[in-house]
Amino acid sequence: MSKLVVSNLSINRAELPVVSSLDIAVESGAISVVLGSNGAGKTTLLEGLSGIIPVASGSIAIDGREIQKARPGVRSREGLAHVEQGRTVFRQLTTEENLRVSLHSGSDLAEAYALFPELVQRRTVKASLLSGGEQQMLVIARALLTRPKVLLIDEMSAGLAPVIVTRLMSAVRKLADNGLAVLLVEQFAALALSIGNRAYVMRRGRVVHDGDCMKLLKSPDELHRLYLGG
Amino acid sequence: MNALLTSAVAGLTAGGTYALLGVCAVFTYRLVAVVNFTGAAIGTAGTFVLIALYEAGFPLWPSVLAGIAAGTVVGVAIGFIMTRWFGEASASTKAAVTVALLVGIIAIGLRLTGGQHPHNMPELFPGSAFRMAGVEVTIASVLTIGLAALFTILADLFLNNTKVGLNLRALADRPMAAELLGIRVQMLSLLVWGMTGAFTTFALMIIAPQRSPNFMTLSLLVVPALAAALVGLFRSFWRTLAGGIGLGLVEGMASSVDSVSQYRSAIPFLVVLAVLLWSQREARWDEAR
Ligand SMILES: Nc1ncnc2c1ncn2[C@@H]1O[C@H](COP(=O)(O)OP(=O)(O)OP(=O)(O)O)[C@@H](O)[C@H]1O
Ligand SMILES: [Mg+2]
Repeated sequence: MSKLVVSNLSINRAELPVVSSLDIAVESGAISVVLGSNGAGKTTLLEGLSGIIPVASGSIAIDGREIQKARPGVRSREGLAHVEQGRTVFRQLTTEENLRVSLHSGSDLAEAYALFPELVQRRTVKASLLSGGEQQMLVIARALLTRPKVLLIDEMSAGLAPVIVTRLMSAVRKLADNGLAVLLVEQFAALALSIGNRAYVMRRGRVVHDGDCMKLLKSPDELHRLYLGG
Repeated sequence: MNALLTSAVAGLTAGGTYALLGVCAVFTYRLVAVVNFTGAAIGTAGTFVLIALYEAGFPLWPSVLAGIAAGTVVGVAIGFIMTRWFGEASASTKAAVTVALLVGIIAIGLRLTGGQHPHNMPELFPGSAFRMAGVEVTIASVLTIGLAALFTILADLFLNNTKVGLNLRALADRPMAAELLGIRVQMLSLLVWGMTGAFTTFALMIIAPQRSPNFMTLSLLVVPALAAALVGLFRSFWRTLAGGIGLGLVEGMASSVDSVSQYRSAIPFLVVLAVLLWSQREARWDEAR
């Protein structure tokens, strides 16, 4: 059975439906990629999953346990981690303090530094002074230390140089290979599809495509058509 | 000259209380992002539990502890209202809510304590600690100032050296990100409310005998406290501390000068105005550069 199962999920924003009757699944050890143009509802979907905003109807289950009514903190303790859009580091805290906030009895700072050795020499630097790439590494590492079963990542490549994006993508692939279930939201498709397993394309709050990442990667025309509609 | 000094020193106790209440206000603002107008009212509620028990014949110190416990509970209750129903509200909405709560608490407090009816408030720390320039400095004033400094130092140590303190700083920085990491946000916020409730109550117990111990006047001590917090721009504990003491001293001196003494309750207002104008000027200076 899939680690994360989302069925028939609808989410409203300001009373208007933004996500409608959506079905999505993520397996352990796999990356499900969610693509879609601006305003398709990707961020809304992730915020509904992690509990930042309430869902209107439908269910969200981790290992078969429904969590759609729980507060964000409870969902986190059930094994869900959400790396938000916009690199939400604790600005006034140092790199290491950011990591220590999410340190649990079962986790170790060394895991974070093993994933991103770049952060070691930035340990005592205030997070607001890190580069964009470093901040993105920090929020991913921080989420990892909560020992999640499912990791949601929203637009981690936004505004970053291609070489950094490649670096982040390979780190995320490594996490999935170690058994994590990853739901990766991206606007720029090619790289995400190259590391992902299952691909969903969203348009106006609905899933308009559900298939294999490799297949979609090899047919750019199909992808283009899905993005633009028609 | 000596008369002026005497009255300045007499203002120290009030100054220490303003400082302690102000530091608690800054603590609350920095950690749970609420400009709390109920600060002094929370302490007043605890103080009146002490008065009621004392008047009923209970021994003093157990009554003090019971009063502090009561103040803590009232603080947590208000914190619960603020986090449960107004957690997502803007800073100004939250401040407005605490003003409304203040009005409610004063109304209930006056009703329960018999309005202007005089109460027998025991002096917890009678006597003078030492003489300074020929003037008696009371134990109460040394204690309130000491307590304010202690709170400042402890808050600093606590925030910078413990895991709970670290979580609190994270919470103050980005509440949602903290909650997404599984931090028990609500419990932490209530801890802040409880801690400030306890300290505030003790401060008010010390100052109550020197004021008319009536629920409303004590609750309105929040005005000079917030003025002190403003001197610290709601960020710096030490500047708030200095602001509170300074306010007490100026108030004390004003009370000895006949022509201004009846306006001395306006002093916090003048301080607020001065700080606001000054910080405006600084902002304009920043823009100009
Ligand atoms: N706070 C809000 N209040 C009301 N409507 C909102 C709010 N946030 C987003 N929306 C609307 O919801 C829709 C989906 O927005 P969302 O941010 O989920 O899209 P997205 O797919 O993440 O886009 P992007 O790729 O630009 O990040 C948009 O039409 C947007 O206008
Ligand atoms: Mg988005």
